Amino acid sequence: MTRGTRILLSCIYWAFVLYVFVPLLLMVLMGFKDSRFIGFPIQSWTLDWYIGVFEDAEVLSVFGYSVAIAVASTAISIFVGTWLAVLLEGRKFWGRAAVFGLTILPALVPGIISAIAFRIYARLLGIEPGMFAIIWSHAVHNVPFVALVVMARLSTLPKSQTEAARDLGADPLVVFMRITLPYLVPAIIGASIFCLLLSFDDFVRSFFLGSYEPTLPVLIFAMLRSGMSPEINAIATVAVVLTAALGVWAERYMRRMNKETGR
Amino acid sequence: MGSDVASAHKPSGAEGTAENATFWGRLVRWGPYIILVELTCASPRRQFLILAAIPILWVLTQHLGPMLQMLRVSLTDAYPVAQGVETQFTLDNYARFFGDRIFWMPFFRTLTFAAVFTLSTLIITYPVAYFLARHVRRENQLLFLLLLLIPFWVGEVVRTYAIMILLGNNGAVNLALRFVGLIDRPIPFMYTSFSMGMGIVYLTALYMLLPLYSALEKLPRSYTEAAADLGAGAWTRFHRVTLPLSLEGISSGCILVFLISTGFYATPVLLGGPSTTVFAETIAGFFHVAGDEWPTGAAFATIMFLTALVLTAIFQKLMNALRKGDTK
Repeated sequence: MTRGTRILLSCIYWAFVLYVFVPLLLMVLMGFKDSRFIGFPIQSWTLDWYIGVFEDAEVLSVFGYSVAIAVASTAISIFVGTWLAVLLEGRKFWGRAAVFGLTILPALVPGIISAIAFRIYARLLGIEPGMFAIIWSHAVHNVPFVALVVMARLSTLPKSQTEAARDLGADPLVVFMRITLPYLVPAIIGASIFCLLLSFDDFVRSFFLGSYEPTLPVLIFAMLRSGMSPEINAIATVAVVLTAALGVWAERYMRRMNKETGR
Repeated sequence: MGSDVASAHKPSGAEGTAENATFWGRLVRWGPYIILVELTCASPRRQFLILAAIPILWVLTQHLGPMLQMLRVSLTDAYPVAQGVETQFTLDNYARFFGDRIFWMPFFRTLTFAAVFTLSTLIITYPVAYFLARHVRRENQLLFLLLLLIPFWVGEVVRTYAIMILLGNNGAVNLALRFVGLIDRPIPFMYTSFSMGMGIVYLTALYMLLPLYSALEKLPRSYTEAAADLGAGAWTRFHRVTLPLSLEGISSGCILVFLISTGFYATPVLLGGPSTTVFAETIAGFFHVAGDEWPTGAAFATIMFLTALVLTAIFQKLMNALRKGDTK
């Protein structure tokens, strides 16, 4: 490979890094601008918008509402997703391909269609729009991601470990709880963080299945529809910092765990 | 005994398992637990049935159920049904789609946009993935990749807002252009198909980058080296060796991005204008008003979903044929 292409490609890479970071950095900067007017140039700086956000009881309650939804839906997704992974990984049975296809179906349905299908189904089940409906839709939507992550981890579990335990007389439940489950912990933690972020950031399902109480993305959307304002920048920045920090931590954690098991 | 087995095979093999062992030892001797094991693990067959029943029931009722119910509602004349009225099955909701320009225009616009945005994402991310997989040392690759992943943890609405700030009349791009002196009046980027495209490419780039990277990373360097030894130039090496062998990554990335970009709702609403209404907005319109429009909305969503599936299936077939033709 010639030197020229190498330099050109690395320029493209760094241009792409700028492309993905600059919009978010500008948004963060704008939250410190001492003016109601969104736009450049920035003449003076302030922390008022952030102070305002942390003093705003409504924003704080919306924040808590979103976190509660994320935690509850993640718990359900992890339970069901892990169970599905244990069923599907390394097992041959009639209809396995169909079950696998159905497992990943919610991840393939485009956002708007998934949201309205859930909206219709919620009415069939008699679930009123609101917190429970959002939790349910997020839980179903996130199951495929859990199942895939856990299946990947499960496929690396040496069969000799579970077989040895079985030979020595442990019943299948004990084998699952003392060998399989501890082995799956890193995948489960990684998948949990992923689900928490997916749920916390989700807009379309929260929007169509919510009642008058908004989640954080729905609140930001509603505020944006009535115009840009520095409060939005402050709220969004807090969300960016939290989600990015949690995401980076999860990536590093999964990588460390994979290294320790020699992969 | 089960307890001894388990402590001997504890993966970490740490000390201080005595207390632990007594817990597990007590558990396996506990009456209700023994009954539970006897009931569930009596035979491999029963064990499998108990393992399989709940998750299969879940995927049928929770994953497939909503789609089937959407299909069913799309074929009815009213939903929810009033008390004492029989549901009439009808195809009228589907006929409505073809009857009015304001319905099928956004539909074809969505498909065109999704195709164009997918292609743009591919063109933008391919060199990046190529650089990562072929030019960065292996031990640094993950670091370089993780750097790119950070912004992708941020949600759809927040990243759309970031694009709004970038492209606004007083946004960074216009400011920079004015500063350089290229323009003296701001260019109205916002509320056009360009701003929408910027937003959607920004949101989907990762879903293209990751499959491309993993396809290119698997490709042995010796292949291109061998081609070079045989006298192939840089361009020939790329389009005769690298490109055909990364088709798998290209096809899965394109399918993923295409499906995702047909489903965006918040981004077109915030970044698009009246001339860029997409089908997601049309579908959503039927759910904002009173419930009687739901069947039409469900029918439109079904049309969208089936079309997207058929198109991606055709695309996959084409890509497979292309791959087979190349390896011959």
